[in-house]
Amino acid sequence: MSQVTSDSQQLLFETSHSSLHQCDELERYILQFKGDSIHFRACELITFKRKVQKIDLVKLLDSETPDVEIVHMPHCDRIFAFTIEDVLELKELFAGAFTMLELNSMIHRQLVRRPF
Amino acid sequence: MKDILRRHSVLKDEVVDIINKQVQMEAQSSAAYLAMAAWCDVRGYDNCAEFFFKQSDQEREHQMKFFKYLVDMECDAISPAVGESQHEFEKLRSVFEKALEMEIAVTDSIHDMVRLCRKVGDLATEEFLRWFVQEQIEEEYVSRRCLELFDVLGEDKIALGMIEERILDVKYDAAEG
Ligand SMILES: [Fe+2]
Repeated sequence: MSQVTSDSQQLLFETSHSSLHQCDELERYILQFKGDSIHFRACELITFKRKVQKIDLVKLLDSETPDVEIVHMPHCDRIFAFTIEDVLELKELFAGAFTMLELNSMIHRQLVRRPF
Repeated sequence: MKDILRRHSVLKDEVVDIINKQVQMEAQSSAAYLAMAAWCDVRGYDNCAEFFFKQSDQEREHQMKFFKYLVDMECDAISPAVGESQHEFEKLRSVFEKALEMEIAVTDSIHDMVRLCRKVGDLATEEFLRWFVQEQIEEEYVSRRCLELFDVLGEDKIALGMIEERILDVKYDAAEG
């Protein structure tokens, strides 16, 4: 899956159709999703992650409503229509990637930023 | 790998959510006080109306304090949707009863926030909330004192006149003096 290759880019997590990289040089996150590559600043990524996390899967499965979720990404002014599978995949991706990011933060707190 | 996340996200998701909820609650209180002010104003209780107009302004300030905190922390601050407020009251005393009830609900809510901060180890937000904890002690005190005026003076025409005269003097520092 992983198509991003650069020294300053590190894979945070990947699923079968998606991946998330951190680019230290640009201080950006790069989401690869179904052939699309979208760059995020940290706060944009957090906003997007929160949107995905708040998508109610049960409601989406309800046959009364259309089973796609429309998500607007204001930072790149794009609109996505995510299917249930997409949402599941993104939820998994973010759960994994943010665990890695929090782990990285812990390492920085305990080892890197500690002066002595 | 750089710790970019830490540089940009100071607050945990749960904390952001609960602060956004509080923004909504303060906005709702501000609107509710406005309705109370209107009720008093049309019935000639000018001072009581002024009291509630001031309360409404204060709630708006609280709302903005929370809102700006979120913005300062680079978090998503949601401009709240405010629902209907209660516009009908049986009598003047009921208005003040409702006010006290609202303040107690806000106090509970602020305390819940402090508890959450402790649970997730957010010392900074806990510190930020300290002002609100104190503020709620004062707000509840003032609300209770207002109701006590009804208990002491009664609710006949003369009593209501006296309450109207005294309502703007009800202050927290009266506790010490
Ligand atoms: Fe308040």
